Amino acid sequence: MKPRSLDRPHRSRTRTSAVLGAFAALSLLASACGSDAAEPADTTPVTEAVAETTPAETTPAETTPAPAETTPAETTPPAAAADGGSITVAIVDNPTMKDIQTLTPDNFTKTTGIKVNYVSLNEQTLREQVTKSVGSGAAQYDVVMIGPYEAPQFGANGWLQDLLPAATADTAYDLADLIPAVKGALSNNGKMYAVPFYAESSFLMYRKDLADAAGVTIPEAPTWDEVAAAAKKLKTADMAGICLRGKPGWGDLGASLGTVVNTYGGTWWEANADGSIGKAQVNTGGFKDAFNFYAQLLKDAGEPDAANASFNECLKLMQDSKAAMWYDATVAAGILESADSPIKGKLAYALAPTKETKASGWLWSWALAMPAGTKNTDAAWKFMSWATSKDYIKLAATLPGGWAGIPPGSRTSTYAIPEYLAAAPAFAPLTLKAMLAAPIDNPGTTKRPGLPGVQYVGVPEFQDVGTRCTQELSAAIAGTQSNDEALNKCQDIAAEASS
Amino acid sequence: MNAVPSTADRTGETTDALRRTLVRKQGWARRAPLLPALVFTVLVTQLPFVITIWYSLNRWDFLKPGSFSFTGLSNYTKPFADPFFREAALHTVVIVVGTVLIGTVLGTTLATLLDRKFLGQGVVRTLLITPFLIMPVAASLVWRHAFLDATYGFVNWLLSLVGAEPVAFTTRHPLASVVAVLVWQWTPFMMLIILAGLQGQSGEVLEAARVDGASALQTFRSITLPHLRPYMELGALLGSIYLIQTFDTVDQLAGGSPGARNIPYFIYQRSIGGGWKFGQASAYGVVVVIATIVIANLALRLISSLLEDQ
Repeated sequence: MKPRSLDRPHRSRTRTSAVLGAFAALSLLASACGSDAAEPADTTPVTEAVAETTPAETTPAETTPAPAETTPAETTPPAAAADGGSITVAIVDNPTMKDIQTLTPDNFTKTTGIKVNYVSLNEQTLREQVTKSVGSGAAQYDVVMIGPYEAPQFGANGWLQDLLPAATADTAYDLADLIPAVKGALSNNGKMYAVPFYAESSFLMYRKDLADAAGVTIPEAPTWDEVAAAAKKLKTADMAGICLRGKPGWGDLGASLGTVVNTYGGTWWEANADGSIGKAQVNTGGFKDAFNFYAQLLKDAGEPDAANASFNECLKLMQDSKAAMWYDATVAAGILESADSPIKGKLAYALAPTKETKASGWLWSWALAMPAGTKNTDAAWKFMSWATSKDYIKLAATLPGGWAGIPPGSRTSTYAIPEYLAAAPAFAPLTLKAMLAAPIDNPGTTKRPGLPGVQYVGVPEFQDVGTRCTQELSAAIAGTQSNDEALNKCQDIAAEASS
Repeated sequence: MNAVPSTADRTGETTDALRRTLVRKQGWARRAPLLPALVFTVLVTQLPFVITIWYSLNRWDFLKPGSFSFTGLSNYTKPFADPFFREAALHTVVIVVGTVLIGTVLGTTLATLLDRKFLGQGVVRTLLITPFLIMPVAASLVWRHAFLDATYGFVNWLLSLVGAEPVAFTTRHPLASVVAVLVWQWTPFMMLIILAGLQGQSGEVLEAARVDGASALQTFRSITLPHLRPYMELGALLGSIYLIQTFDTVDQLAGGSPGARNIPYFIYQRSIGGGWKFGQASAYGVVVVIATIVIANLALRLISSLLEDQ
């Protein structure tokens, strides 16, 4: 107090104005930074590849019997289709989708004259954007990329157009060629709400060379106990025995753990007689056993910082020879075996490990759907049918990635292409086997609420419960709370959705 | 702004009607250009808030079409009974208070060092300010992957040099990681404000203290620190306002870990982040806004009393 009064008379005004000036200047600066902060999250993932508009040379104005309600666009004369117009497509930003952005201008746009604007988003953002836009009826996107979790639910809500009439009428499309389990997962009540761009199951990938050296043999259909024993044997100081997803998210940890829970006889919820969500079953029985097993396996032989690892992290560890086994999506094999992979040819594959059920692999697909609000249904279907056609698969093989990198799992005929089988002898047949074995209708040992699903539960509440629960479980994997604490919190979260 | 009415008051005794009209006209001539901005501000800030209040009185489950129905205040019973919300509120307090306190101490230290002349002062000052200029998302991602990663991170490489075991910072210590990165970002801000304060300090007083035989430490404690108090308080207030809204770091660095989940992230998760329960999320939002208004009012009163104090 005293030193302050020393210089009071001549200092007071300058200090006040200095403080005011600093306040004004810094609040401006800070608010500028504050508003900047929100932007990159929205804009950075968006990359737009705009295909050149080239006058259509061959516009086979095949008047596709466009799905659902008749929109004006459908009845416009072929002349309108000739100038092509443009469509906006929301897609997920992964390597397979980068390929289609590369191929669109010189192929699709060249032959149809339709310009395609891609909006490429990461998985979480894509889900937020698509749900918001499709659910509010905004005609922001003509085609959206969704999965089997969303397709039947959104379809039942009346948010998507039924693609079955268009796909049936289009004989070149060969609807019967789509892998039945995938087509079924994208349909509901006899209506097909999305067409698969690629599809995947899950299986076990492991280093054959290391397994042989350690005297470990893994059968084609292993059990989790066998895999756990092998992982412990293969673990060394700088190599994880097995890499498993531990990152929060219903599509990350939730997917891998979900299949383990199923095969352990566990479930998120009991089903009520009418198929609605019954009592939560998280901190008990099969769910609890499965999570304890999963967390213990990660502790004994898993990758470092497992709570931070998902598909991309495990992929990197495998490529860097820092993991000997990996249980994940079948599409990963195409990347591990690609021409420039350092561990190409050193791998062997086995079906998803089981405990009490016969099969446990998941079923997922990135598929294209048409929102109910789409005006340009004709152009949208032309794009969707091209992107999911047999011809596109052949076209994708012309890219540097070659045959091993084509979008797999969508069509039975893919697995009869000699070039593909030659390029992917180790994993292509097993992928098909896994896809066909995926227990979509009866994944566990008890009846599930909602629509069919393997690694997820087909109810709208699941994405919230799944994400918040996996955050708790992931924290237990990290070691910040005990397994029981996490399971009990998760039980509370899941119980909120029970009826 | 007040100049015109006060002039009018002073000349009010003449009661000249013409003059009054003129003054009123002048007043409007000054106010009118501001009106569009005012109307715009009301439209984009107040209207959404009123709509949010309306939503909070309804059940609105976005994923279940037709679920929109009036439920009165039932959404408001949830925030107070929800242990996850209380946990998020606690984390918000830890993040704000922790960051502001550590940031102020470090900021004062750095500002004191920067206040003296040395070679390369400009370069050092620019480097020190840089973290504040980096977008929070970018900062979070760089810290998560390049610095704190358990396998590839720089910090763990440093630890390995001294033979320590790698630490999975962002998953094992999520809250501490978030606070550390925020301190890294906000220390420059504190430093800037305090530096402005230091440079406004009178050299005569310091010299007088030296002549009186005060040690450097005594001078700092008895003269500099009291002089800096209002600047520190200002920095703490402004920092708190922005830190309460922290989202990017919690989402990108800690991946929404339950150990670091704060209120903005919590509300995001109740709405478009997966919950899609807009009615309930709006109720949480309204509760937070009311709480923030109360706290901000107290803080603003504090700051204005500080200014009057001078």
